[in-house]
Amino acid sequence: MAQAALKDTSVKEFEKKQEWWWAAEKKRSKRLDYLRKAIWKKGAIGGLYAPGVKVDLERAQLHTQKAKEMEMSPDAYVIKFAKMFAHILDNKTIFITDHAQLVGYTGSLPHTMGWDPSAASILNEEAFNDPTAIPDPVDVNQKVIREINNYWIGKTDLDKMMPVFDMEDLMKMLSGSIGWGVPLARGGYSSKDYEYIMTGKRAFAAIIDELDRKIDEVDEEVHQPGANAEISKAYDKLNNWDAMKITLEAGIRIAKRYARLARIIAENFEEDPKRKEELLKIAQTCERVPAHPPRNLQESFQYDIFIQMMSRTEAIEGAWPSRPDYYHGPYYDKDVNIDKTLTREEALDLVGEFIIRAAEVCQFKPKWTREGLQGIDGTWVWTIGGVDRNGKDACNDLTVALMQAARLVRVANPTLSFRWHPKVKDEVMREIFECNRQGLGYPNMRNDPILVANTMHWYGHPIEEARLWANQACLSPCPTTKHGFQPMRMANATANCAKIIEYVFTSGFDPVVNMQVGAETPDVATFKNFEEFFAAWTLQMQTIFSILVRAVNRARTLAPTMTPRPFLSGVSERSIESGLDTLDPSIERGNSWITAFTWVENVDSLAAVKKLVFEDKKYTLAQLKEALAKNWEGLEEMRLDFVKNAPKWGNDDDYVDDIMLRCLDEAAKFSKVLKDPSGNNWPILPENVSGNIHYANIVGALPNGRRLGDALYDGGISPGPGLDKKGPTAVLKSCGKIDHITGGRAFLLNQRLSPTQLAGEKGYQLWSSYIRTWADLGIDHIQFNMVDDATLRSAQKDPEKYQEVIVRVAGYSAHFVDVSRKTQDNIIQRTVQGLG
Amino acid sequence: MTTCKECKSFFPLENDQTKGDCVQRVKDPRQAYYQSRPAKADDDAGACGSFQKKQKT
Repeated sequence: MAQAALKDTSVKEFEKKQEWWWAAEKKRSKRLDYLRKAIWKKGAIGGLYAPGVKVDLERAQLHTQKAKEMEMSPDAYVIKFAKMFAHILDNKTIFITDHAQLVGYTGSLPHTMGWDPSAASILNEEAFNDPTAIPDPVDVNQKVIREINNYWIGKTDLDKMMPVFDMEDLMKMLSGSIGWGVPLARGGYSSKDYEYIMTGKRAFAAIIDELDRKIDEVDEEVHQPGANAEISKAYDKLNNWDAMKITLEAGIRIAKRYARLARIIAENFEEDPKRKEELLKIAQTCERVPAHPPRNLQESFQYDIFIQMMSRTEAIEGAWPSRPDYYHGPYYDKDVNIDKTLTREEALDLVGEFIIRAAEVCQFKPKWTREGLQGIDGTWVWTIGGVDRNGKDACNDLTVALMQAARLVRVANPTLSFRWHPKVKDEVMREIFECNRQGLGYPNMRNDPILVANTMHWYGHPIEEARLWANQACLSPCPTTKHGFQPMRMANATANCAKIIEYVFTSGFDPVVNMQVGAETPDVATFKNFEEFFAAWTLQMQTIFSILVRAVNRARTLAPTMTPRPFLSGVSERSIESGLDTLDPSIERGNSWITAFTWVENVDSLAAVKKLVFEDKKYTLAQLKEALAKNWEGLEEMRLDFVKNAPKWGNDDDYVDDIMLRCLDEAAKFSKVLKDPSGNNWPILPENVSGNIHYANIVGALPNGRRLGDALYDGGISPGPGLDKKGPTAVLKSCGKIDHITGGRAFLLNQRLSPTQLAGEKGYQLWSSYIRTWADLGIDHIQFNMVDDATLRSAQKDPEKYQEVIVRVAGYSAHFVDVSRKTQDNIIQRTVQGLG
Repeated sequence: MTTCKECKSFFPLENDQTKGDCVQRVKDPRQAYYQSRPAKADDDAGACGSFQKKQKT
């Protein structure tokens, strides 16, 4: 919008027109406005990065330089790896943006994406082959990339691990038909032991002292007269502790580099006295953390940012599990309410900047990840609200400030996820509603009592720990505790579940990748009844899940030695105590799950087969098999019969809802047969991110009437777009039939609501009543799009004018203009539910 | 040979004058910032496009 028009239009006028993004721009402080506009948009658009965003060669060069230097070193691998990490932190370019109060970024410059060349050669080749992301001059830098890539061939994590995987499973998984991602411990994402490092009791210096004590004690023990198995293991522990220490010391040094830069700017360049004061505050902050525990809100945020930056130097992280109001809230309270060293407005600026610092984070990722996460770099879902370990309401002033700041900065990532429970105050609920009404698509709602019970049911986390859960990526809760926290999640335990039903018709042969992937079940035309058909479905489900889980389990077993994480171990109590890498399954309780993409297609397809084939006998399985093989071509009447005349999920129809329950029951039973290396279960979690679009050309025609290429359903348990004909309560009733504690890990439900209907106090009351029904039905999740069709269609026609419109895609939000046309259409097609 | 220590952008460490930081002001299309990277006092700055002779005090 032209500046003059922006100036002449009041906030109220923008709000009346529901142009929340312009209203926010007028309402936020000059600092927040500058910092918000300073963000380089890093989420890929249609799989490609935006112009100007470049791969960070500096980090890759530093990493490679140190690796080469240490090739002949006798150090253990974990020590070498820690030294590479330290070399990067000691030598990377750092920067401080004008007006910023918080510092630290994953790349070397604001427009760069951190590139870790040690993860996988397939990723490195993508860097080489993507000239739009290579810094200028492209021809020169392509040669630099070639040299880096040549060095790492055969040495990256994935290159080293591939030969020790089961090759048949690996090929099926990497075919891209049933899974998503690769089994790498440094290529998924990690939670943190926040109860150890984020409660103000200790920080890096104290941990280093503890490590020194451990090293001295064990070093002395192993040199006493005697020899046994424990002593043999102790050498590995000593190496791990040494490596942790190297990374933590490097973490303190880079913070001091930031402190020094802030002082240099203040003393040599800055003329504005207020800004000089801010720079000196940055210097004091970075001299304090991460070496010592934070004392105020700025230090607490800075400490968190440093830990995230270091974790993202050690590994490629595709999510951001955290609980910011719970761990930073006490500092907000101290500064704003007790000491009054910050006004609410000043605090809101800091909170907004904390969100912005996360929004700009990006690491170079492979194209399949970019396509599956359109418009964002990863799912930075921050958990807020909920209860404390004693079950008391944990909402605080920062819970509210985070939502207020989110409305001002309006970023699509991070998003907020609210742990609802019966004791949440009305003022907090109103903030949640306002964020959603203003079109952010977040916070989503999580049913805390249900999810605490679910976390205990599936993994046996004790109740006091289960109550401390944070979302791992989009939806999966996990405690932030010593033995509960999850040190890594490998995204390849993500199943493209529509293949389950597809393989029933192809006897497990995948026509897209032209190989036998699923089980060789009998020719579908020979099945005499629905029970035989369902038995084949169950076997295909078990086969696909097993292939994916076996690969993760193998990678996880190898991870502590082949892909260790000394920094993450250095901030994990269990590793400090035991000397084991934090990835070691023996010291984690286990919190694995299978993300079930494209799940509901199975339910609608099974219902269609049961009804039209076995009950109405309108078609034979042989006819249906042929129709699907021909992608329904020339058979439109038959296809529409399967679309219109078979029951569909989401209409409170027991016929099809019972099939959903039966499918989930089979999956839940098998979830307990599958075990992770910690000995715990593998429940399923139906959701999609953008997988419903990514897989559109990979999944063939299905009995629900879908054709090859059509977008798949968008949610985990959302009805198909436009197929929920009976209104919002019927959707909730269908979803409420699922046992959200024992039926699976979590279930993603997308709903679209009308922003016009939800205006004003009446709108809030309607929404509150809807949420009460949702909670009473025991549904674990719900999220909303509240942007009307007119705005979305206008944004399609004139994207430049609607750059800031945000939509809820699946487990995350994105700017509408940053997702593909197919995804845009899919969002518009979702039924707008009228409440009341 | 022109060296980094002769440059305005070079800020030596207090405890070791042979090492320091090269600090520069940058304006990109979206934001302005100061960047810093480690440098050695005696590094060759002859080919550095950002070299600016330090004024004698």
